[in-house]
Amino acid sequence: MHGWTGKILHVNLTDGSCRREEIPTELLHAYLGGRGLGVRLMRDFFRLDPFDPEIPLIFAVGPLCGTTSPTSARLACVTRSPLTGTIYDCSAGGRFAWRIKAAGLDAISITGKSAQPVFLAIDDTRAEILPAGALWGKGIKETVASLKERGSVTAIGPAGENGVLFANIMMGEGNSIGRGGLGAVMGAKGLKAITVQGSGVTGVADRERFDAARADVMRLFRASPVIFGELGIAEYGTPALVDLMAQRRMAPTENFRSTFFAESGNYSGPSIRRECGARKEGCYGCPIQCKKSSDKGEPLPEYETVNHFGALNGNSDLHAIVRANTLCNELGMDTISAAATLSAFGEARGRFPDPAEVASLLWEIASRRGEGELLALGSRRVAQELGKPELSMSVKSLELPAYDPRGAYGMALAYVTSNRGGCHLRAYPISHEILRKPVPTDRFSFSGKARIIKIAEDVNAAVDSLVACKFAFFGATLEEYGELLSAVTGVEYGPESLKAIGERIYLTERFYNCENGFDRADDALPERFFSEAGSAGEGIDVPPLDRVRFEEELQKYYRIRGLTTDGTFTDPSFLEVLP
Amino acid sequence: MRDQIEKYSGKLLADRSALPGRIAFAAQDDVLISDGAPDLAELAGATLSRLNALALVAARPSLPFADFLIARSPKGENCILPQDTETRTFLHDIPFLRKGELGDDPAPKIAVLLGNRKGVIVEGVGIVTLGAITVEQAFINYSSVFHSTFVKYLQDVLAEGFLLPGEREAFQAFRDQWLRPLSASGLVFRDKLSQEKDEILSEIEAVGRYTVERGLVDSFFGNISACAGDLIYISQTAASLDELKGCIDPVPTDNSSTTGITASSELLAHRKIFEQTGARVILHGHPKFSVVMSMLCEARDCPIKDCWKDCPHVREIGGTPVVAGEIGAGGLAKRVPPVIGASGSAIVYGHGVFTLGRMGFGEAFAALVEVENFCREEYFRRLEACMLPDEHKA
Ligand code: SF4
Repeated sequence: MHGWTGKILHVNLTDGSCRREEIPTELLHAYLGGRGLGVRLMRDFFRLDPFDPEIPLIFAVGPLCGTTSPTSARLACVTRSPLTGTIYDCSAGGRFAWRIKAAGLDAISITGKSAQPVFLAIDDTRAEILPAGALWGKGIKETVASLKERGSVTAIGPAGENGVLFANIMMGEGNSIGRGGLGAVMGAKGLKAITVQGSGVTGVADRERFDAARADVMRLFRASPVIFGELGIAEYGTPALVDLMAQRRMAPTENFRSTFFAESGNYSGPSIRRECGARKEGCYGCPIQCKKSSDKGEPLPEYETVNHFGALNGNSDLHAIVRANTLCNELGMDTISAAATLSAFGEARGRFPDPAEVASLLWEIASRRGEGELLALGSRRVAQELGKPELSMSVKSLELPAYDPRGAYGMALAYVTSNRGGCHLRAYPISHEILRKPVPTDRFSFSGKARIIKIAEDVNAAVDSLVACKFAFFGATLEEYGELLSAVTGVEYGPESLKAIGERIYLTERFYNCENGFDRADDALPERFFSEAGSAGEGIDVPPLDRVRFEEELQKYYRIRGLTTDGTFTDPSFLEVLP
Repeated sequence: MRDQIEKYSGKLLADRSALPGRIAFAAQDDVLISDGAPDLAELAGATLSRLNALALVAARPSLPFADFLIARSPKGENCILPQDTETRTFLHDIPFLRKGELGDDPAPKIAVLLGNRKGVIVEGVGIVTLGAITVEQAFINYSSVFHSTFVKYLQDVLAEGFLLPGEREAFQAFRDQWLRPLSASGLVFRDKLSQEKDEILSEIEAVGRYTVERGLVDSFFGNISACAGDLIYISQTAASLDELKGCIDPVPTDNSSTTGITASSELLAHRKIFEQTGARVILHGHPKFSVVMSMLCEARDCPIKDCWKDCPHVREIGGTPVVAGEIGAGGLAKRVPPVIGASGSAIVYGHGVFTLGRMGFGEAFAALVEVENFCREEYFRRLEACMLPDEHKA
């Protein structure tokens, strides 16, 4: 077998067992790896409570991992989210994914709960569960430093240990499994960290074909202004979007009360470069290197983070934003949900937190002390508790990222149809509505968006299963990645067959969610977007969303997906016909 | 979506890439619709219904070149491989179905091919292309296949002559009837472009329209810019040159804002050309004969294989320098700026032409026309020379 190793490591933290098992080849062919494989492996467990010891926490790499396929040293972490209650996956890049593959594994599935804090150490042949009592309570840097001799490290911080519902899992090199609170699931298992080293090499079935496909991908990267353009993400990282979102009048500001923040230039891509001396960094082996770090080596914030600790909280102090980002990374928390929760809290009490208060509240959240006890539950529960549920700018309890849906109607629809809650990455319509890739679409129109969102969700489910980075698709398409996959595995794949796999994954996730009680009522945007206008300017009007058109398009989406008008399945045995 | 279908059917007629009455589109939202020539519309609908995509066009090209390319392909081959940049970058290759393979219901076979590629040629039927998420994309892919097959056929005829019955006559008809004289006559340009934003935007919009109307593009791609003080006004990536209103980015020359992340992928080339030549405006199109001629190289025993990106030489066609270089962050931005200043124009191998204006777009447009006309004449001159009996050759 090429591309896959065909092996999964099952770890049971309750009884301390670790065993390698075969993964049936037909599952690998049908679900690829990453998100798809993880979601498939959840089939017998998706009804479990996220904090039930028996729920699996799955790390799955894809068939391209371990090769020089651009952007593919990535994994998906899959389980059920304690924040949203939905099935949940996060894609993350870095050496950790590469090493899992090199250790001869396509996936690691961790169940059970350890009575004492432990870490898991994996190498080519062995897996050991070792005590981590001395590390419990420690931040990410210290944890990673003390384990790095054992290979690549992924760890939780105090937030994960303390069950913060938006705790993340941090990779040693600064990448994060960043949304949905998967760090809290890891913490509930008593698992502080995982280390992995391996020496295996991923074979490629057809080297010549692989090299040609890789050259095609790289050519498209170079032809893409968003990727390698002089104002693109390779140069400025995702903060390259700050100026654009300001110009397009869709930068969420003060808990989405407005969509323009006059001082956003303070934390734009060029400002970050000037003020922090941004150096190019990125996921292991990625040619794009969209991540940036300061001249002191400190990871610098992404677009979402600068906007949310910036405009969303009415703050224009770049250095305070960088500090908040660093603190979240160190404590192991999702920056988007943390900042959005503070913003909702700020609006509810009539005052957004100033930079000093942000820092102290982040500490309180991670340790669940003082106001942090409530804030650790995320904006929906906070707003509910404060008697102002309408102030949570979330979908299915996941805080919305930094693209105001009033400025991109496909984004509005995609937020609600996303199987993991208010996420921009499932269908990523910003790609065409704003960045004009692969072709531009009218951002102020719902026309055709139901079908476009459906197709993009399928595409991205496949991308998350390869696993490749979404940013690669600002240039390349499934045509070139299908070639890479065929060349690596020796199994023929193309865009259409990959989309069919994506559709299978997507519907499986939706089915799990529906079985857990989700339906149309949960596919809802906060009321604010239908009743309040965004900030007009530069000849751009940002009216409230038209609810009738929105609902019409949502119903179209359900029809295209073959769902009922309630967004549910007619066939209760839907999963049985799937591989 | 019906309005989109109407719009892009109109564009296929306006650019004369498809035969009137032989165009059909299909598109699906929650329902599938198709429109156009009834037999093609049926085929379009039946094909699209098998695919996870939004739109499809099936149309008979106005020139028989795609069919000739299939007939000229050796038995056993199932795709053609044009060498122009657009094909290499976006289409990779163009699969085809021969008449004999179609059977009673070609839709499933076409759908299988479109499951892997953006467009396919169906012998005797036409070009069928997919739009993954928009109707416009189906149109773009049709135009790209039309452009690529045009360029490849002209190259092949020059290299190998006519091989099929009827080919020579069809080619003559193309030359006499399809091709039209190319000029800038009747177009109005501002002699001296001011620094005024509104004037610059409206001039760029007009020049974009002219470039498409005079057929100096493939589909509607190319890019246009004007320099004004600290700003470069440049058309956005994936913008229709004939619909540039609202699609021109002002980009600060010092990169102090990244709003221009949506600007043309050739922003860097434009910036460097402005820096090195002092020009006011730049026009870049993909005129077909220039593309064909740019790939004609007489060097023998050259060790370089990937000429389109690795050729280090500056060749010349009618006084216009020809350089290699990939688009975007590839080599084009390095190789064009140093050579374009002297003649005011430069051709990029397999890709297209850049021209300059020192005061305004009139000069740049005239240069683009002139380069293409020279390449057209040179092409036919060479073709005639090849076709002469041996004793008449020089
Ligand atoms: S583009 Fe950026 S996020 Fe994506 S793999 Fe590369 S460095 Fe990582």
